[in-house]
Amino acid sequence: MQARDTGALPLTELEVKRAIAVLAPAGWLRLHKAARALCRNAHFDAEDLLQEAFERALEGSRQCSRTLDIVLFLVGVMRSIASDWRKARRRRPEMSLVSPTGSLQEVAIKVRDERLGPDEWLASAQEANCLRQTIFALFADDGVAQRMLEGIMDGIAGEELRSLTQLNQTQFESKRRLIRRRIDKAFPQERKP
Amino acid sequence: MTRNKDSHQQAPLERLIEALVEDILAASDEDLINEAQTDDDNGATVARRAFERASRTIALRRLAANRRAARGRRVVGANIRALDPKTARGWLEEYMASHPDAARKVRGALPQRDRLSDEDVYGMLEALQKRGVLKQRTIDQGPDQR
Repeated sequence: MQARDTGALPLTELEVKRAIAVLAPAGWLRLHKAARALCRNAHFDAEDLLQEAFERALEGSRQCSRTLDIVLFLVGVMRSIASDWRKARRRRPEMSLVSPTGSLQEVAIKVRDERLGPDEWLASAQEANCLRQTIFALFADDGVAQRMLEGIMDGIAGEELRSLTQLNQTQFESKRRLIRRRIDKAFPQERKP
Repeated sequence: MTRNKDSHQQAPLERLIEALVEDILAASDEDLINEAQTDDDNGATVARRAFERASRTIALRRLAANRRAARGRRVVGANIRALDPKTARGWLEEYMASHPDAARKVRGALPQRDRLSDEDVYGMLEALQKRGVLKQRTIDQGPDQR
């Protein structure tokens, strides 16, 4: 293949399909874990999100650059879909579901086209607050993890977040892993954080 | 206003979710496999199943789209003169057989001869092509075998 082609042209739909089909077990696991994380605090499930992302990749509505790792690409697609679905749910317009097993029929559910009323907003805010408190309570024994969580939720990232926790890089990474693992175990259901 | 407040409430949790995803992407393959074994996590199977479903859905959608396209397609730019005379005559006979009224009119308008000349055949096919009534097929396909 010529050098100028690499990166410039996206993968063809067939190449995308092949790249996904030959993923190693860790690749599949990574995709599923990312999908599960993106479904937390949402009202859809990981398998639907994965299926939708695969469909968009396979039909070419989302294109993967040749220089991009296929898993990173698919996680990016899932991020975008999850964000759209969350927004759609907040606006509560028409909501479409992924068709079950390769059915041709589009499944659509019409729900009220209304924005959150004051009561609903209060319920949503309370729910979010409650989830936040529950997460912090998981780390009641770990002040560093709580500081890190606070930083993350305040939008601090990277080096700034690391210096906030006063950990070296290795300690920082293992603390971040501990947070993820503990949340994973505490909330196995997709709808919880 | 209401929506902004709602987004503001959601943002901290969404940032946390993003951090969780970043950690998943940064984890080594070995760590992920160890975690899955420890947690008895069948995520790899679930993801593969979602992929297989998506593949089937896309294949069915394409099949349906191809069928729709084939129904509506007509010969537009195919060069009728590139057909060999026998094939061209086959196409015309097939058209005449399926459109007897049109065939009668055409025969009436043609000079009285036992057999249409090749030029007559090409001319009629071109006329049908212009009117968009010839079904799409490739030049080397020959007469339809239906």
